[in-house]
Amino acid sequence: MRSLIALAAAAALGLPSLAQGQSWRDVTMSRQLESNDPVRVYVEYGAGRFTVRSMDEGLLYRMHLRYDEERFEPVSDLSGNVLRLGAESVGRGVDFDKHSGELEIELARGIPMDLDLEFGAVRADIDLGGLALTDLDLSTGASESTVDVSEPNPSTMGSARFEVGAAEFTARGLGNLNAERIEVDAGVGELTLWLDGRWQRDAALALNMGLGSLELRIPEGLGVRLRKDSFLTSLDSEGLVKRGDAYYSLDWEDASRKVTIDLDAAFGSVSVVWIR
Amino acid sequence: MLMLPRRRTRWLSEALPLASFGLAGLFGPPGARAQSPATPQLREVVSKEVSVGSAEAALRLDLAGGADLEVSFENGVVLVDGEPVGGFQPGGELERAWRELLGSAVALENGPLARALVDWTVPADMSGEDADVASRIDGALEEALTADEAQADPTEPSVSVSLGDEDALLRVLLGSLDRFGVLEDAFEGLGPDFQVHVDEDVEVPAGSVVEGTLVVIEGDLTVAGEIMGDVVVIGGSLELLEGSEVSGQVRFADARIVRNQGVVAGGLVDVLEDEREREADLRSRLRSEVRDEVRSELRREIRDVTRMEFDDRDGFSLMAPFAAVARGVGGVLENLIVVLVLGLIGAAAVAFAGENVDAIAETARRAPGRSAMVGIAGTFLLIPTWILGAVALVVSIVGIPVAVAWLPLFPMAAAAAGVLGYVAIARNTGEWLADSDYPWTGWIRKSNGVFTIFAGLLGLVFAFMAANVISIAPFLRFLSALLTFAGVLITLAAVQIGFGAVLLTRGGRRREYWRSYDPDEAWEAAMNVDVDVDVEQAARGGTGGGRRGAGGTRRGGGSGTGDKGSGTGDKGSSTGDKGSGTGRTGSGAGGAGAGTGGPEAAAGEEGDHA
Repeated sequence: MRSLIALAAAAALGLPSLAQGQSWRDVTMSRQLESNDPVRVYVEYGAGRFTVRSMDEGLLYRMHLRYDEERFEPVSDLSGNVLRLGAESVGRGVDFDKHSGELEIELARGIPMDLDLEFGAVRADIDLGGLALTDLDLSTGASESTVDVSEPNPSTMGSARFEVGAAEFTARGLGNLNAERIEVDAGVGELTLWLDGRWQRDAALALNMGLGSLELRIPEGLGVRLRKDSFLTSLDSEGLVKRGDAYYSLDWEDASRKVTIDLDAAFGSVSVVWIR
Repeated sequence: MLMLPRRRTRWLSEALPLASFGLAGLFGPPGARAQSPATPQLREVVSKEVSVGSAEAALRLDLAGGADLEVSFENGVVLVDGEPVGGFQPGGELERAWRELLGSAVALENGPLARALVDWTVPADMSGEDADVASRIDGALEEALTADEAQADPTEPSVSVSLGDEDALLRVLLGSLDRFGVLEDAFEGLGPDFQVHVDEDVEVPAGSVVEGTLVVIEGDLTVAGEIMGDVVVIGGSLELLEGSEVSGQVRFADARIVRNQGVVAGGLVDVLEDEREREADLRSRLRSEVRDEVRSELRREIRDVTRMEFDDRDGFSLMAPFAAVARGVGGVLENLIVVLVLGLIGAAAVAFAGENVDAIAETARRAPGRSAMVGIAGTFLLIPTWILGAVALVVSIVGIPVAVAWLPLFPMAAAAAGVLGYVAIARNTGEWLADSDYPWTGWIRKSNGVFTIFAGLLGLVFAFMAANVISIAPFLRFLSALLTFAGVLITLAAVQIGFGAVLLTRGGRRREYWRSYDPDEAWEAAMNVDVDVDVEQAARGGTGGGRRGAGGTRRGGGSGTGDKGSGTGDKGSSTGDKGSGTGRTGSGAGGAGAGTGGPEAAAGEEGDHA
């Protein structure tokens, strides 16, 4: 990531003439890590490419933003333990043909962190692995988003919330979130949720889906109970056995970790895929 | 490399200088801790911003102690902390050198960054005003980033260490620092062997074994080997690599766990957890307040950001694609409702005033241009007529009561005439569609006025519906607008022609033209069947014979009987048209019609009987 930032900046620095006639600006910001106190991080971004990673370089954050300076301005503000990052609009709107901005954010590993990500029409690639998350809120509008929790969260999280408007949304390694409750509220779109990772506790997964398809990828050995309250929604419940009002995985009783899924869906399809 | 004394006495002998240095470091700025007093000191760079655009290249630094520095090249002027120090030629030597420095500054942080900036000097080949400005920048960088020896933090506490017994240093450590004062519990119940490291990083390499309790204060602990005891980490970080093992507990306070891939037999204990819980309520309240505020602000901004400018009226929200779908589907439904309403009106008109509708439709068909001209003229005269009529009625005194009715009834009558004319045009359109070979028109029964009216209405609004459907897709707005425009033209033409036909026929009471005879339609009307369907069925059933017999003409009967031909003759010809083999008409029925037919009918007759 660091080399990519350097390359991007070098390209911008070395080719100033190409930028004539455009309003693109590259800005790189960083701040030293001064304490291990918990921090609340709010990230906002409207449109473009969006990536989030963890890092361990003695910095609280590093942000690289490429933006149209006539329409956006960077946001980087640390007040107390509240950190705001991203880009905010200064113009009236966005020229749709020029959506090639990008925002890359790296956050310190291991710092207890409440993370609130809110972005609009973006292509998001978010890796939360290594972050010590105590709370997570992710809200996206019309985007193509991938959230990967590549490493177990060393902190305990009460709940993680994903609000997905109309998007192609994939979340991997949800077990690594170390959350007691995961809420996914999706409007329209295609969702793929990987329940892999290291589950350190039993958890609840609340899925509220409007119109679209949902694929649950569940690792073998994880006990799953699926309660469905749906309207005109098909369920491909392979590997689940219906008992009473709920569907259970075959090893529900013996599983060391159990996840209860409450599914509220309308007009869509839900499928369960077991992974090794 | 790890140097771990096994006995407390050894720890004390080593810890005294270490602790005195570490205690000072705990309260001092982190950057200063690592610096040697003998070397020139550089300020810590707390935060950095490198901003590069086509017209600006700027560096902004926040430095330890609250100082800051901003150097920017902007629109031909070099500014240091907002003050101009000279000019530069865009794209010139000075700007290139500055951008090159920024290019390297992007990838550097803190010490290396400060060093790179301080080491920057005026390029050797630079001269003139550029060199002067570069020299001022160099001076500003060095001045800002080089700290004086006397820049000790005035808030730094003085810590004295007094050892009354072997545990004194530890007690001083815990008792002197407020932030650690609550951590005495962290050491409760631990074994007698301590190995304490203050303000230094500690590594337990793979394959090594550490016995006893390992305490790291204000340092980073990386464990790849094995620790036969407990681990206490205060104010630093802990990294348990894969394969590492801790036989006891890992207690941490105000520390972060970078990675936990090892095995901790005694589990992880956050000794500040109680304190955190006490803070939880306050944090929760603050969090919800801040979140609500930030969220509302972010949502508003994201809405602004994602609003597009090609729709000035409503804007284009994040849900625009779905709004487009909703608009498109809504538009189609709207058109279908219009078709339904007008179709019901048309059905009623056919049921109660079928002759009138016939006359209007026939006039529109035979003389569309004339009807259109009359319709346009009538439209222009509507309002003058309405006003003049009312005035005339009022002036006549006796007509005042009529004027009261005239005012609302005239517009209603005009509207009814427009609707009636439009329905008549729809009927013509439906018949045309029935005769066409277009797909999905097979259901239209030409003999059934209701069918043809509904079909015609669908045909007339087809352009609108197509426009609505296409509007769902992005980037096809032009085509959608074009179809809408075509729909408007079609509707205007239909209304004008229909309205003109209504005027010409006096509402269908005076026929301008008689409807030409259509034997298929007559047959369908008489038998309540669909010719095309029946013929296809007959052909599939192997009953023999073509639709019109060999060489027969469909219109033969009609031509023979003339516009006002008799029904008997018509039907006779019609049945003759079908040929003797269809099994539907019978071969003997053709004779009567043939006698009244002309040459064309005779040809049909011949064909039929052949």
